[in-house]
This record gives sequence, structure tokens and C-alpha cells, in this order.
Amino acid sequence: MDERLMEMAPLYALGALDGDELGDFARSLPASPELQAELAGFEAVVGRLALLHATAPSQRLRPRTLGAAGFFPAPTPAPAVRREPASRAPWLAWAAVLAAVAFGALFAWERARLVDARRQAAELKQERDTLAAEITQARLQLAAVQEQLGREVAFRELVAHRESKQALLAGLAPAPAAVARVVWNPGTREAVLLAAGLAPAPEGKVYEAWVIAGGAPVPAGTFQVDADGKAVLRLPTVEETRSVKTFAVTIEPAGGTAAPTGPMVLAGAV
Amino acid sequence: MSESQAHALLRRLAAGDQKALGEFYDLYAGLANGLALRILRDTADAEDVVQEAFVQVWRQAARYDPRRGSPQAWLCTIARTRALDRLRRRVSRREDATDAPPVGTDTPQTEEAMTVRKALDGLSADQRRALELAYYEGLTQTEIARELGEPLGTIKTRIRTAMIRLREALGPEAS
Repeated sequence: MDERLMEMAPLYALGALDGDELGDFARSLPASPELQAELAGFEAVVGRLALLHATAPSQRLRPRTLGAAGFFPAPTPAPAVRREPASRAPWLAWAAVLAAVAFGALFAWERARLVDARRQAAELKQERDTLAAEITQARLQLAAVQEQLGREVAFRELVAHRESKQALLAGLAPAPAAVARVVWNPGTREAVLLAAGLAPAPEGKVYEAWVIAGGAPVPAGTFQVDADGKAVLRLPTVEETRSVKTFAVTIEPAGGTAAPTGPMVLAGAV
Repeated sequence: MSESQAHALLRRLAAGDQKALGEFYDLYAGLANGLALRILRDTADAEDVVQEAFVQVWRQAARYDPRRGSPQAWLCTIARTRALDRLRRRVSRREDATDAPPVGTDTPQTEEAMTVRKALDGLSADQRRALELAYYEGLTQTEIARELGEPLGTIKTRIRTAMIRLREALGPEAS
């Protein structure tokens, strides 16, 4: 007997065999009493696992089930289930063989349904996962658009506010072509910086904005520029914005620093 | 009731004796229901599966061959297949009832069930997990390997070893 097929029996009994192995096993089974016996042993194990969970169904299920069975005609008696010596009744032996084949087909049919259902479920699961990923992506995009819209509305309101002020920041030696503008409202302490003409920050560095009101510069957020060298930064609402004297931008290590350490690239007095 | 008596019941069923279906139901309905309940975790769905399984037994009893396994194994194969079918359809309807807490009981109710529990407890946690994914969730060896992030060969060996150990621990079916 093919040892490889015998090793597949426990997996087949569990319905876990798949791929070419499933086909090989199913094809070999009808012609191999040895394989059938091995499989029957493992199918008995599978059947006995159900003992763990035995739970009586509701009382109403019995009449419902027997009633449902009553809708179908009684099964046709099959002489094949009786085992008679072949020498006394050769036709019975043939009937037994046919019945065995039919029963094998029944098991195979059950298994084929399981395999089909499994394939279908895998496809549906994949489809569900894809849809779930698309929904997540769409939600993220929506959140990003809403955030962008919120920023633009806030910026428009800031620019339009009658108390808002504006300061121009000139490019310094490291970035002579750079220019920036800060619009801020001393009352609400809201402020937005718009920069242009900046080169990408060096590897491992970021641009960092500062609000200087007389004391030490107060960090006001880090940013990177886009492919066109432009950036928009909404500054945090710090107290120093009420009495700001200078806005400035320096190059700092990624993550920003609490006090300026790098070269200043933009500065503008109020 | 012994297995030979169950065989006798199936012979009566095959001869069209509907009273035998009632007796067969009384013998195994709890088994089929518990299994379906464990897989589906929903009482109504599990009872639908039980009804379908027994109707199938009634219709196909004439084709049952005792050489291919016990009546209990045959019924459990039918009930498990139908429960897993239903589980797939539930997935297709985007329902996810598998997150529901288990319904029913895992506490062994009979001496034979205790033997099964003990045999399962004798397996390693890895072996039990692979076996459960196949048995209760209907995953194939390839799907289990993917789910657990382990090589296919490891999973095959693990399941095979677990089943051989269970067969040894359980011995022949009671008769």
C-alpha cells in the first residue's frame, strides 16, 4: 500500500486535505480496502469528537424533523446492506459492491460539497477583505479631505478676520530664494505660515518655525516642503503670538527641537 | 444502545420504517445538535442543520454501508458538512456570528465523552489548535498553515500525529 496515501487518511477524515493530494486520495480510495479501513478508523475518531458537545435540541425539533422526513418517500430498500455469502447468491455480492460504490460516492459527494463550499467561502472572504480594505481606504481619504477642508476654511476665516495681521519673512543666506508670509490673529492666537522657494530639508532634518516675542524663541511646529518647494503650516496657538515681534524658520533635526540649533533660513519682523 | 443496534436501526430505516427514524433521532440528535451548535454558535441554525441531517439519513439510509464506518460517524460527517456549509453562507452574507460566545456545553456529559476530553487534553496546544481549525472551522491544511504562519509540512505532520494519538487513546468504538 502506498504509504503516502495512508498518511493522508487522517487529514481526509477531517476534511483538511486539499489540492492534488485530495484528488489522489479520492481516486485511490474506491479500489483500496486497506485505505478504506484506515479511513474508517479516523472517521470514527472524527465522529467521536462530537461527543464532547452533545446538547439536546429543543423538544419541538423532533416532531419538526420527523414531519419533514415524512414529506419524502421512504427510502428504497437496498438488498446490498445485507451481507450474504457470494457463493450462495452471486447477484447479492454484485449488489453489495454496487452499494459500497454508491456509499463511497455518497461520502465523496459530501466531501466534494465541503471542498466547493470551502473554495467559495475563501473567495467570498477574500472579496470581503478587499471591500473592507477599500472602505478603510475611503474613510481615510474622506478624513484627509475633511481635514484639508477644515484647514482651508479656518485659513480663509483667519485671512478675512479684521484683526488679522500679516508679516513677510525674507530668505536668509542658506535659502536666499525663499520667501514666506505669516497671517495671524493676536486675539485668537491663530497663525498660519505659507512658505515658498525652499529646497527640501537635508536628510534627517526638518524646517521648524519659531515665534519670538522678546524672550526665548518658542517652537511653533515643524514642516517639510512639497515638490514645488512650498509649505503651509498651521502654528500652534501659543501665548507669545499675542505680542510676537519676529517669526523665523530654522533647519533642525527631525522631530524638531525646543530651542533653535540650526541655521536660520527665513525671518521677518512684525 | 450499541453500535450494532444502531446498524439495525439503519437497516430498518433503509426498509422504510419511519418509526426507526424517531429512534435514531433519539439516539443521536444531541450529538448532531451539539456539534452544529459548536460550529455555528446559534441555536436556530444548529437545529436547522439537525433537521437537514436526519432527513438526509432517512433518504439515503439504503446506501449506508457498515464497512465504511459507524452510523454515528456517518451522521456526524453529514451534520458537520451541513454546519460548515451554513457557516460559509453566513460569511457570504457578511455576518460574523463566530464572534458570539460559544453556545452549549463543552463539559463531558458521558463516560465516553470524558474519554474523548482526556484524549484531547493529551495533545499539545499546537496539535489541538490545528485540529480545531480543521474540525470546527472547516479549514484545509493549506489554510491552516496560512492561518498559523507555519510550513504546510509542519501542519500536515501535526494534524496526522494528533489524529493518530487520538485513535490510540480512544481505542475502538464502544459496541
